[in-house]
Amino acid sequence: MSNFIAGYLPLFDLYCLHVGLALSQFIVLRAGVFSLATAAFAGIGAYTAGILAVDLGAHPVLGVLCGTLMGMLVAMVLSIPLARLRGVYQAIATVAFIQICLSLNIYSESITGGAMGLNNIPKTVGTGTLFVFAALATYMIWAIEKGRLGRAFNTIRQDEAVAASLGISIRKHQMLAFAISGALAGLFGSLEAYHSYAIDPRQFGFHLLITVLSYVIFGGRNSVIGPLAGAAFLIILPELARPLAENRMVIYGIMLILVINFMPKGVADTAIDAIKARRLTAKRGDSA
Amino acid sequence: MLAQQLLNGLVVSGVYALFSLGFTLVFGIQRILNLAHGAVFMTGAMVAYYTVDGGGPLWLAFILAIIVSGCLSVLVEITCFRRLRKTGDEEFGGVVSSIGAGLVITTIAQQISSTQILRFPFETFPVVIFRFWDLRVSMLQLFMAGAALVMVLILGYLFYKTAFGRRVRAVTDNERAATLMGINPNRIYMQTYFLAGALAGAAGVLVGLAFNSISFVMGEPYMMFGFAIIILGGLGSIPGALLASVIFGMVQTLTIAYLPSGLTDTIIFAALFLILLVRPHGLLGQEDAGNLGGRR
Amino acid sequence: MTSLKLTNLSKRFGGVVASEDVNIEVPTGKIIGLIGPNGAGKTTIVNMITGMLPVSGGTIHVGDTDITHAPAHEICRAGLARTFQNIRLLGEASVLDNVMIGFHRHETSSTLASLLGLPASARETKALKARTMELLAAFDLTEFSDYPAGGLSYGHQRKVEMARAVATNPNFVLLDEPIAGMNDVESDALADIFEGFAQDGKGVLLIEHNVRFVAKLCSYVYVLDGGKLISEGTPDHVLSDPAVISAYLGGQDA
Ligand SMILES: Nc1ncnc2c1ncn2[C@@H]1O[C@H](COP(=O)(O)OP(=O)(O)OP(=O)(O)O)[C@@H](O)[C@H]1O
Ligand SMILES: [Mg+2]
Repeated sequence: MSNFIAGYLPLFDLYCLHVGLALSQFIVLRAGVFSLATAAFAGIGAYTAGILAVDLGAHPVLGVLCGTLMGMLVAMVLSIPLARLRGVYQAIATVAFIQICLSLNIYSESITGGAMGLNNIPKTVGTGTLFVFAALATYMIWAIEKGRLGRAFNTIRQDEAVAASLGISIRKHQMLAFAISGALAGLFGSLEAYHSYAIDPRQFGFHLLITVLSYVIFGGRNSVIGPLAGAAFLIILPELARPLAENRMVIYGIMLILVINFMPKGVADTAIDAIKARRLTAKRGDSA
Repeated sequence: MLAQQLLNGLVVSGVYALFSLGFTLVFGIQRILNLAHGAVFMTGAMVAYYTVDGGGPLWLAFILAIIVSGCLSVLVEITCFRRLRKTGDEEFGGVVSSIGAGLVITTIAQQISSTQILRFPFETFPVVIFRFWDLRVSMLQLFMAGAALVMVLILGYLFYKTAFGRRVRAVTDNERAATLMGINPNRIYMQTYFLAGALAGAAGVLVGLAFNSISFVMGEPYMMFGFAIIILGGLGSIPGALLASVIFGMVQTLTIAYLPSGLTDTIIFAALFLILLVRPHGLLGQEDAGNLGGRR
Repeated sequence: MTSLKLTNLSKRFGGVVASEDVNIEVPTGKIIGLIGPNGAGKTTIVNMITGMLPVSGGTIHVGDTDITHAPAHEICRAGLARTFQNIRLLGEASVLDNVMIGFHRHETSSTLASLLGLPASARETKALKARTMELLAAFDLTEFSDYPAGGLSYGHQRKVEMARAVATNPNFVLLDEPIAGMNDVESDALADIFEGFAQDGKGVLLIEHNVRFVAKLCSYVYVLDGGKLISEGTPDHVLSDPAVISAYLGGQDA
């Protein structure tokens, strides 16, 4: 029995880490920013924490804190120029940003370890910590959704002109969404660093971008359940059968195409909408 | 030495032009950023390799690569974008969908090639070096430049001088109006995607020959460079993409030659970032509607 | 008494002159009409006032405050609200949610409270819900509160948009063809609501093609054609002005 659980523990760790990153991607999309920079922010967080740990022997709490703040800071700075862009232009700019981080990282070998990455990071973060942070992050995004910010984000995403006409500052809210996204990615990036002994630049490139984006697209971009469900499904599915595991990326790819075409809101949000609609019909039946 | 670099840069520019013309063509006609374009490019190189590997002559490899890449590109259009265009969610959805397609294509290529770097057999393309003044030009370079030039000219002819080109432009301006005029937009899209894919496939073969190194990830950097080029030229602008390819090819060759090697990519993408901010519509692109137009 | 004042307001789109030296004043507590044939430039003026289009020339003042170049969200905070000619609701959100966002500028809970889900945030959401329900009742929309706004009839959607504008508690309301496509019963009900706005001390700028409706409600009417004001005055005066008659007839021929 305990063997069984131990076998699946790494998967659960991965889930907790990726839920954090998925929420980071989720929150920018929710505020109507087509940013794909989560992978870069995660890398920034991971390297900040990793360098502090390896070179300065810093306490993990300090490392995670700095990683989070660094992710947030960079995201806020990035949001200033990005406010001038929209749609695919934002997407391209953020992909360029990921590339800049990647190549700077490889170039600054003396600090970051270059292409070989950073090794010998003390493993201080375990399953419990990861779970607590994933739960906290989920709670925060849920709280945002329920309050003033969620309403403003929603409006901006759906119609910027309407949002502005109602006094919602697009620039301010999108910067805030970026800050949250950067902080979350920085946080889970630094947790990843303390969780896995070693990090390398390629971990935070295009591949991570696709993985995280898949979670959100698959699950849904409106309710916080979306990224949670998306990450769960896409992480567990390949484990169910060997052929699935070998073709993990093909499955992700096909899922992306199918879901965005046939269930563009994502699985969880579509289900939630269906439940709401059914409730309304029932209500109408009662009153009639 | 500088002249030699410029010459090399010009050859590289030709390849970039082939790659980015299709990229920008598709954006111009559908406002869709086709992120599977890099995978199509890679497919061209793979098809050529396996044709040669199977004993086929290079000219056949080239033709097969072009046809297969073209068809693959059409397949991407049909599976990834056709439905999204109807629901009007092609800006966001198209990016997601084509990332998916790119992922499927590259992963399959990875499995076929067993994650290996593939190399053409020695002398698949005859190694002949011409010298004049102080410059060295290989036959391959001449071939690359020639092939790129011919294909760009063919595209230009098709686009600006034929009924097909007029139809493409009609559909670009206004799909509904074009449909009323009896044009079948889906057919135009398929033809455009075929052209775009064929050009990318050709670029893939040329790059594969030039570096004699073909792998399933080879499309990724070209995709990134493609971004830089079509943004610089203005998304959707054909002359812009040509001009930007030349600028980009030259600048890249010169930075590699004269600046610390690791920084080339940083400089290129930082430049892309800046161009986006200063001139989001590129050198020759047209301005989009304002931010508050409520497009989303 | 404050007023919304446009002075020599002009807008050019490339070569097209969409509005030229327009002078309009909307005092609080009054309903002011703005009419003109299709393409006269009425919507353009509303877009300029609300900061959705940059102004080419002239100024816009609310009282003594110059809002000519203020960004759209600050203009809302200066007390201006609008509806859109082509209704713009968040189609899949419920009627309640649509109207609730109108209260945004009066929300006071801190960003931190919203981030951390503190009680203050939940309290505010609850209070806003109650206020929204009151507002929906005033617009006779209570029964639709849970339905997706996009599924409502045209007339109801217009009312939802109006409720959302009113939720910002504006001093001036700009209504761009609010009764287009409504039947007489529906538009009469809205007429009462507009008069209610004026009695509350709000200034209303009413853009409308239905001349009878404008004549009934407005104390003063401006007539726009080709971007220029061609007439202004009381409804009776304006409607008998030969320039107006010919503009409308000419407009219909075209
Ligand atoms: N964004 C724009 N770019 C270019 N021209 C524009 C733009 N918006 C409006 N116009 C032009 O400005 C003129 C005035 O348009 P506007 O929409 O303000 O008219 P309107 O009086 O509201 O008409 P309607 O009664 O049909 O609503 C028209 O000729 C229109 O074509
Ligand atoms: Mg109008």
